[in-house]
Amino acid sequence: MSSLIESSQANRKRYKAEKRFKFYGFFALLLSMGFLIFFLTDIVIRGYTAFRQAEIKAEISYSKETVEIPPLAVNEEARDFASRGFVRMIPLQVENNPELMGDTVVQWIVANDDVDQYIKGKPNGLSDSEKQKIDKLKKEGKIKLSFNEHFFINGDSKLPEISGIFSAAVGTIYVIILTVLFSVPIGVMSAIYLEEYAPDNMFTRAIEVNINNLAAIPSILFGLLGLAVFINFFGVPRSSSLAGGLTLSLMTLPVIIISTRASLQAVPDSIRHGALAVGASKWQMIWHHILPVSVPGILTGTILGVARAMGETAPLLLVGMMAYIPEVPNSFTDAATVLPAQIYTWASASQRAYVERTAAAIIVLLAVLLTLNAVAIWLRNKNEKKW
Amino acid sequence: MSADVMIKVENMSFYYGDFKALNNINLDFLKNHVTALIGPSGCGKSTFLRCLNRMNDLIPDTKVEGRILFGDVDIYDPKIDVVELRKRIGMVFQKPNPFPKTIYENIAYAPRIHGIVNKGPQMDDLVEESLRKAGLWDEVKNRLTEVATNLSGGQQQRLCIARAIAMQPDILLMDEPASALDPIATQKIEDLIFELKKRYTIIIVTHSMQQAARVSDYTAFFYMGDLIEVGVTQEIFTQPAKKQTEDYITGRFG
Repeated sequence: MSSLIESSQANRKRYKAEKRFKFYGFFALLLSMGFLIFFLTDIVIRGYTAFRQAEIKAEISYSKETVEIPPLAVNEEARDFASRGFVRMIPLQVENNPELMGDTVVQWIVANDDVDQYIKGKPNGLSDSEKQKIDKLKKEGKIKLSFNEHFFINGDSKLPEISGIFSAAVGTIYVIILTVLFSVPIGVMSAIYLEEYAPDNMFTRAIEVNINNLAAIPSILFGLLGLAVFINFFGVPRSSSLAGGLTLSLMTLPVIIISTRASLQAVPDSIRHGALAVGASKWQMIWHHILPVSVPGILTGTILGVARAMGETAPLLLVGMMAYIPEVPNSFTDAATVLPAQIYTWASASQRAYVERTAAAIIVLLAVLLTLNAVAIWLRNKNEKKW
Repeated sequence: MSADVMIKVENMSFYYGDFKALNNINLDFLKNHVTALIGPSGCGKSTFLRCLNRMNDLIPDTKVEGRILFGDVDIYDPKIDVVELRKRIGMVFQKPNPFPKTIYENIAYAPRIHGIVNKGPQMDDLVEESLRKAGLWDEVKNRLTEVATNLSGGQQQRLCIARAIAMQPDILLMDEPASALDPIATQKIEDLIFELKKRYTIIIVTHSMQQAARVSDYTAFFYMGDLIEVGVTQEIFTQPAKKQTEDYITGRFG
């Protein structure tokens, strides 16, 4: 008989193997956490500076001459450093407020991207003499960094210092509203039919396999489908939120069908039997008893599907939503772009100032996605099984 | 047998696909009496019970032959309204299955969908009456808005009985209603069955022969899909006519 106190050779080997196995798992976890933390830190470090923007204290004189040649309106000291985005608006300003004519106003105006980048200590295209001038202005307190509201209230621009995510955010909201509107009712009804009504035959099983496969096919194929069906066949305006929403609905549909079916399956048959035995019709059984308890599951699936659609770029590439679209869309048929597309556009732009804006847009997108996922988890936990 | 016949089963056979689960059953159920269906597992007694309110319709690929007369209509007549049938024949399942809603809503649901009572004080009265009949009122009268699944197993089962009688059926089917319950809860259910037979015709499937002997007026013994013997409970248990029945109730098999 072997001793209880001292492990045998074979047992010691087993314990060693177990320790090794545990370590592999821990190492894998550590590695993936490491990548995640690295990615997030990198994005935050690159992006947080974009939430502040350099401004310069300038004297703006409104006169006949300066309306003709707007740069002359800015005092000489600040002229080279003011953003063209501000300067080009001077004639319009005068047109809207004629009483400005003849006045000289001292105000903080947006500085151009090179000044902004220099103040933030980042690579820029300034000459040494320009840098000296800026240093002097800074010492005099005529250049400062302040909250970058342009980033949140402007659309895209060719001038990085006044470009923002607003039009892309509105586009994303439009696209998501349409995606939910199209994919949730159709997906939930399909799932109910498949789960509660459809007979179990070859045809149903073939559909089932196809839906499961659809959830896994590359998203760019949905873009091709959307282009062929919605734009070329039905004549939906290209680049519009409608085209994007319909295309993303196609992509989200299988996810919603699968998760809805799973949550319907999770409702025990005893509830179905109970309902039918008191004389409920099948429709009443589904509507009064099955759906109420499966709503959390359906919502979780929907939110995760929508979150995925929100971060999607490839299908939108093909329906023309990955484009330079600075205007805020006013309707579902206006040309629009979305946040991931905005990120892509900025990532490939040449000016250095777009680097931090790209990262900042990623931070915003991640924050929204994290919020959506948190809501999904909250909904699931809130309505945990009651039976 | 002088009382009225509530359900008359004539030459009834039942198939799961090719498998014949019930073989040419002939059986009468009498009004305001309790009939117990006994027999070893797999003998077809639960299948038979579920034929009576057509719950077997839910299982694909099943077939019924013969007739089951409820009053003077065959419940397997294609023109039968199954919803109406299930309203008149209530059912209590083996495992308590209250709806995951409030206690009040569990009772009020069936009367509302059948348009017996809609809401307001009338509904309150009906809920109270049903719970009283099921012997549950005193335990739950202060927690009607609680979720029914918070109740104990025995309470849940009595709630299911109250739910069934709230739609004022003629017949109550019970599929081993006490098999998932402890002895005290079982005792309460049995007392309740004794009370309920004054108003309803009760058909109960049970695994416990003591229970059959305690609660039923008539007992039917099933074996391998055949109805072996049916008669007054006391006679079945004291002087069974068939050898198989005697073997089963004396515990020689099953």
